[in-house]
Amino acid sequence: MSDSNIAKSNGEPTVRAAQKPSAKLWDENATPRHRIQWCPGCGDFGVLAALKMALTKQEVTPANLLMVGGIGCSGQIRNYLNGNAFHGTHGGALAYALGAKMSRPDLTVIALAGDGDTFAIGVENFVHICRRDPGVMLVIMDNGVYGLTKGQHSPTHGRGMDIKEWSEESPPPFSPLRLALTAGATFVSQSFSGDPKHASEIYVQALQHKGFAMVNDFSPCVTYNKFNTYDWYREHGEEIPASHDPANLDAAWELLNDFDRRGRLPLGVVYRNPRAKKSVNRLPLWPEELQGADVRPLLQLFR
Amino acid sequence: MITNHLKLLVGGVQLRDGVVTVTDVLGRILTRAGLYVLAMERGYASTIYGAHQYDPMVIADQPPISWGDPALDILVALDYDSNPDASQQPNRDTVLRHESHLKDGGVLVYDSSTGEIPTETLERRGIKVFPLPARNVARDELKLDVVKNMVAVGALFRILEFDRDVSLLRKLVEERFMRKGQKVIDTNLQAAQRGREVVETVLKARGWTGTGYHLEPRPLTEPRLLISGNEALSIGAIQGGCRYYAGYPITPASAILEFLEEHLPKYGGRAMQGQNERESIRAALGAAVAGVRAMVGTSGPGLSLKVEEFGVSGMAEVPIVIVDTQRAGPSTGMPTKSEQADLSLVVFGGHGEIPRIVLAPSTQEECYTMMIDAHNLADKYQCPVFFLTDLNLSEGRKVVPEAVFTQTAPRVDRGTLVREEDLRKDGAYKRFALTPSGISPRLVPGTLGGIFKVTGSEHDERGFVSTDPAIRKAMMEKRARKMETYLREDAKPPQVFGTPDGKPVLVGWGSTRPVLLDAQQRLRAQKVDAAVVHFTHLWPFPTDVAKKVLGRASVIIAVEQNFSGQFADVIQSQSLLPVRRIVKYNGLPIYPSDVVGGVKQILLDGITHVRVGTEAPAPVRVSEGD
Repeated sequence: MSDSNIAKSNGEPTVRAAQKPSAKLWDENATPRHRIQWCPGCGDFGVLAALKMALTKQEVTPANLLMVGGIGCSGQIRNYLNGNAFHGTHGGALAYALGAKMSRPDLTVIALAGDGDTFAIGVENFVHICRRDPGVMLVIMDNGVYGLTKGQHSPTHGRGMDIKEWSEESPPPFSPLRLALTAGATFVSQSFSGDPKHASEIYVQALQHKGFAMVNDFSPCVTYNKFNTYDWYREHGEEIPASHDPANLDAAWELLNDFDRRGRLPLGVVYRNPRAKKSVNRLPLWPEELQGADVRPLLQLFR
Repeated sequence: MITNHLKLLVGGVQLRDGVVTVTDVLGRILTRAGLYVLAMERGYASTIYGAHQYDPMVIADQPPISWGDPALDILVALDYDSNPDASQQPNRDTVLRHESHLKDGGVLVYDSSTGEIPTETLERRGIKVFPLPARNVARDELKLDVVKNMVAVGALFRILEFDRDVSLLRKLVEERFMRKGQKVIDTNLQAAQRGREVVETVLKARGWTGTGYHLEPRPLTEPRLLISGNEALSIGAIQGGCRYYAGYPITPASAILEFLEEHLPKYGGRAMQGQNERESIRAALGAAVAGVRAMVGTSGPGLSLKVEEFGVSGMAEVPIVIVDTQRAGPSTGMPTKSEQADLSLVVFGGHGEIPRIVLAPSTQEECYTMMIDAHNLADKYQCPVFFLTDLNLSEGRKVVPEAVFTQTAPRVDRGTLVREEDLRKDGAYKRFALTPSGISPRLVPGTLGGIFKVTGSEHDERGFVSTDPAIRKAMMEKRARKMETYLREDAKPPQVFGTPDGKPVLVGWGSTRPVLLDAQQRLRAQKVDAAVVHFTHLWPFPTDVAKKVLGRASVIIAVEQNFSGQFADVIQSQSLLPVRRIVKYNGLPIYPSDVVGGVKQILLDGITHVRVGTEAPAPVRVSEGD
């Protein structure tokens, strides 16, 4: 019975002895490298590389992976590596991922979206997914623009820019990390796709986290954001010191304040504090699991 | 003496007076006594406290054909003045609004705690009036305000000469209040006893032997349920294998969410209150992508919010059942009034063109049986299946034999869901493989040997984004072909009552079927022979069948609760047959008399579009809140 393929565990991705994933496996069922529709130098290549490394390290198999891609250049990543993928409406990625993970805690569910998808049109979902804390990993490919529609500003646009006057049309950028902490996220981190190896280490921690793991990844748009470039991020990004205790919420806020004061962007895990959660099994779905449900106890209520 | 054949109405101030408590107790007890109860015309306001609320109930020996017309045999007014010094009686809404419906020779019971009301005009019509100080009895004698409802129940049972030995009431009260202790049980029974005593005092004082109305238990030959449309469809969803539900609170769909939150986990499922309408449908679609049967429920405003996701379901071929418990729109509209005005939205809503199925049950029974079908259809055709009820059906209660829910073991058919064994045979799996039926094999993630890419963008057979003209054409046709397959294999034809040939045909959908059948009977008695054709499977529209059935009618008359005649337009545009219409959109249910009157206007006066209610007497202006 295929049921044996689907773990009844409470959310741990499981390995199939048949096929341990290798780097090459991720290139199957995927768009070939020369057909990838990202500009040369796009930060998302780094995210892709980091993702493959992290999934390999965590021994996730393509069949057990469900990627939920947002709208835009960033969401295309779902076609660029092996694994199940779903692509719906703009801003919806986290809500789709929520339903998928609630139903199938045995799958590895990863939402992959841009900063516009996540923090503009999808911000309501971001807030409530932080609260609900499903075992979903989110990688935000943060570049300050809407690339696919040719460069409009996103909610994170304006980082580090010296703008004298703001307006309702052009407001200042907001902080993804602060919003995540405020909304109660249990894993808050930031990475730089210009250093895929380092980013992959953060992704691994995100995959291991039992709950919603948010990774805000600086993924420069070489075509439309000429200000927040690779060099700019290298200059302003700074590793979170080993002395930081990510389990401490006060320390997390202080760290953000400290980095903000110094005009630096923290890279690493800012906060990690898993909640006590009810353990759930995957929901019944095969016909033999659904056939013949006994509704007589319910009918009693109406006698 | 009228035995086991009456219509009563209980009215009062919303939340304060316990209208629904009284009708709930009545309904349950009468059901257990082997009688048939139909309560589908509840009127209440979109507010919590203070507005007028009423609940009409038909009681009969045999299943009532419909809820009939507004005429009442018994009026129970639970409201009392909260300000006896007011020159106008602010809280006499029940009498003010409904006394004109009370038949000559009928009965009025009203709460006389704060004073008596003038009843000359009523008594001249032969109506027997019973002043009942229910509130005062409860508050002052029994020291428990809330049992005033039981005082009314006791009074009503005495008026109807029913349950003289109190055995049925005792059983219910013990069941209900077991957990609250013997004292509460006793106080409730005392309250009912006091109600009976007051009625006896009035009967004696007025020299009446009875009221002319009588209820008698009948042998309960089979287990029966008193159940609403929402409850029936929720049970149907569980029976039909739905294991993920998400919904946002909205009148009148909230009850589905509450029922499934409580009961779905017992069957291994999960029900979630979404943070908004869109989170709900997106989470449900995520669950469906993950392989689980999923459903959402809402009403008009929530449906508008979900429209974008119809497209996702249709384009990415993700199954989902979407329940719309229609209420009066547009916009916020009248949240507590019934209407059938979302048909256009579910049939045409969404940019572009997608395959979709639209079902509309007519009765509580069909809410259950068709819900099981809905989930099978969603899986088979991998598209959105809309399940339209209306507020009257969703909240309306009716006695239904339990056998409807237990007789056959319904089949859960998950369509072309593939298993690992199937994959190894076929080679590289293609989620959107082009097939003669248009239906592609569907993979549950986590199945070894295959992966899927599923997207709302146009795509090739593997699910990769494509705008290639040939692929696009093939995919549009594939999706459309699924609906041709549906029309051939699964679409049910309309139910036909009578023979349409050469006759006027009344066409309807949703909860109007009982009313059309009632009207048909009345018309026949007036020598007008009309057929009734009632659709439950509305879209894709079965044009060939419709043309055959409706084509030979002398005149086709659609009866629906919306302004323009939305289903009439569908029939017209699809079949090219002209359709007249009788429409009602004032928030009240359609009555058989509306249909009979409308048919006469169409047949005799040649009117094509009858708007029910324009000739109605000016209603008493009573504030109902927002």
